Amino acid sequence: MGAAVHGFAQGTALVPASPEPAQPAAAASAGHGIPQSAQSLGGEGGFVTNSMVVTWVVALGLIVFAQSATRNMKRIPAGAQNFWEWLVESLHDFLEGIIGPELVKKTFWLFATIFIFILATNWFGLIPGVGTIGWGEQGAHGFEVTRPLLRGGNADLNMTSAMSMVFMVFWFIWAIQANGVGGFLGHLFGAKGESTGVLRVLMVIIFFLVGFLEIFSISFRPISLSFRLFGNIYAGENMLDAMSNLVPSLSWLLPVPFYFMELLVGVVQALVFTLLTAVFTMLICMHDEGDGKAHAQH
Amino acid sequence: MFMPMLAELSGNLHVGLAALGGALGVGLIGMKASEAVGRNPGASTKILVQSILAIAFAEAIVFYALFLVK
Repeated sequence: MGAAVHGFAQGTALVPASPEPAQPAAAASAGHGIPQSAQSLGGEGGFVTNSMVVTWVVALGLIVFAQSATRNMKRIPAGAQNFWEWLVESLHDFLEGIIGPELVKKTFWLFATIFIFILATNWFGLIPGVGTIGWGEQGAHGFEVTRPLLRGGNADLNMTSAMSMVFMVFWFIWAIQANGVGGFLGHLFGAKGESTGVLRVLMVIIFFLVGFLEIFSISFRPISLSFRLFGNIYAGENMLDAMSNLVPSLSWLLPVPFYFMELLVGVVQALVFTLLTAVFTMLICMHDEGDGKAHAQH
Repeated sequence: MFMPMLAELSGNLHVGLAALGGALGVGLIGMKASEAVGRNPGASTKILVQSILAIAFAEAIVFYALFLVK
């Protein structure tokens, strides 16, 4: 997996590998920006990368914080317990309004975890020192860090694709649980809408062919989910890096507005990932209209 | 004058064009979704779901261009 993703990133050059030498010296000092793949700690070929370290730190921090906040549960919450209850409750209400009360009971744990974890990872990557502390060498313009100790967790394609693949597995499980194998295939290939006679035959053929398009577009979902998150966070890190190297005398001021924008991007991307996964699950778990009405009457 | 310029073009032009179209599509969806929420704030959740889905489909074009066209 890691090798394949790495190979892709090398192959199609989303970002120019090396700037043209014609650029001014100030921009050239920015060098190549941030490398596309996470670097391993402890030399070449090491297993543990700097993105993995950030992932573990964030996950451990969230677990410890949540456990310590809910150790002594109070009737009237205050402080940390109040914060977690507010976060989980507002997430629950928000998702309930979108995917419905029945599905949210079953799937809330995954979507809430995804949201909180992505948000925490994105914001952790903005703490000064992440990406700037590490090993490096003495360059023409002073010391340059080439192998940072920490790197934003979602600025690594392996992390985002792992998350979207875990989601796709649960998407499939939930789809089968909701509708059964026949219902799942019916969802993909079955004809929708009311029609009779010749039109009906035509509709069945068309919807059968549309089913293949559906499968094609579903199989691209994990790719677009992971690339959307990776692209936004990686580009943000690269932009902050470029802004702090653009004009050396103003490097204390130039990145500041972009830090605020990255705070916003962190929330928006966490929300988009959560919403998209939730809506995809809702779409495949939806029962037919007639079933839903019959269900409500019982 | 123009034709030699076109002939000089190289690189992943298809990805650039797909990104241009995808960005325009996302912008149009966002514009119309905001208008719709402005007209009917009560339906904002339904509009949000529809627009998020449509944006996902518009963005997927860029990934098709990235992976399928060589």
